[in-house]
Amino acid sequence: MSEKVSVKVCLGTTCFVMGSSNLQELIETVPKKYGDKVEVAGVPCLGLCSIDWEFSKAPYVKVNDDVIKEATVEKVLKAIDEKLAKN
Amino acid sequence: MKKYNQNAYGDYFISKRYPDEAKLIAVLSDGLGSGIKANILSCMTATMLLKFIEGDQIPISKAAEIIMNSLPVCQVRKISYSTFSAIEVNDDGDAKIVEEGNPEFIWIRDNEVMKPEFKSIPSKTFKNRCLKVYKLNLRLGDRLICCSDGVTQSGLGGGRLKLGLRREGLITLLLDKLKERPDISSTELSHYIVNQARNIETDRLPKDDISACVLYFREPRQALVFTGPPYHQEKDSEYAKMFANFKGKKAIAGGTTANLISRELNRPITMDTTISIGKLPACSYMEGVDLVTEGILTLTKTLEYLEANTPDIDNAAGKLVKFLLDSDCITFMVGAKLNQAHYDPALPIEIEIRKNIIKKMANVLQDKYFKKVNIQYM
Repeated sequence: MSEKVSVKVCLGTTCFVMGSSNLQELIETVPKKYGDKVEVAGVPCLGLCSIDWEFSKAPYVKVNDDVIKEATVEKVLKAIDEKLAKN
Repeated sequence: MKKYNQNAYGDYFISKRYPDEAKLIAVLSDGLGSGIKANILSCMTATMLLKFIEGDQIPISKAAEIIMNSLPVCQVRKISYSTFSAIEVNDDGDAKIVEEGNPEFIWIRDNEVMKPEFKSIPSKTFKNRCLKVYKLNLRLGDRLICCSDGVTQSGLGGGRLKLGLRREGLITLLLDKLKERPDISSTELSHYIVNQARNIETDRLPKDDISACVLYFREPRQALVFTGPPYHQEKDSEYAKMFANFKGKKAIAGGTTANLISRELNRPITMDTTISIGKLPACSYMEGVDLVTEGILTLTKTLEYLEANTPDIDNAAGKLVKFLLDSDCITFMVGAKLNQAHYDPALPIEIEIRKNIIKKMANVLQDKYFKKVNIQYM
């Protein structure tokens, strides 16, 4: 039995204004597409923009332990597929 | 509430809190006549009286006496231009009240009406004017209600109450309501009085301006808003402890701040099942915390709502507005650490500086909503 893939969307100020507000679609499409194999949730802040601010690539999304920079719905779905293929 | 067929209010109410002196002043004035004329008279009387009392150079009774002696007489009706009630009360419950012409105020303790003693000061210049001066000592749970004669005379001449509601009728209404809801807020109770008075008017058309002022002497509701990580990171645990030990309602505004508290107090965060509501990040939840929101964007929106007086909005800022307005004393713990990423010119919108928003918010809460605000920078 494979483990669930966890998707965390950063909802901190920087990520939100840089586009994580557009990732709402994930909340709706992911359960439809993958059922309960993948879990999507927002998190208050991943703390990545303040570490990496000079090269800020917000919005950030974490798929398991991998960080996706400049995340879009397509990028996140692709990463989920890769994770599931490995499992 | 306005007299029917008029487009201006003839009663005027003003109140102000003085956090440094731990006191509050409230003035209600009823101007003679109706509409614009009454509006100007009552507004002038109330604001002048407030200014006089807050100056603190002369006692409230003296201030009221000067106003009483100098209010002109209406050429048509030969009576005073306006009537007034003024209340000055401090946090220890020492209240001074002056009245001229308005219905006698009502003091309720343990659902009984108290009969306070008073001193009469007749006017030296006008025979028919007489000032009543009261000194009361309020206890927790006491309520003071004063109103314009529009309340006590509502229903006059028509229907069931030939002589109007009168003081006795108002007292019955108040005691019944307080029995039903002992913790009713002053805002709700004053709305209740005004609506009841309108309901007994013939055809529900007020024949005079109707106003009610309610003071409720109770333990202040404390609230704490923690926003922004502290400048010195090594003090995180200290501030988290302060946050945990605070007695009252608590809110966190900021993702990093929420993570900090979660880590230090070992309390997990759970999120709403959505990402954004109304262009703001969704709220999250933590045990022992009443509200957890994102930081700057939510605070900026909250300030906007507070300034424009738009409550009941279903997003994180709307919730924060409700949180703040449901409290009397609000403490802000403001972390001074800046997130460089917020000042990247590539960001599509400008992100305000936290300190500035909080300062503006404190001013609005104090000046417009009469809250006691305390800001602590960390």
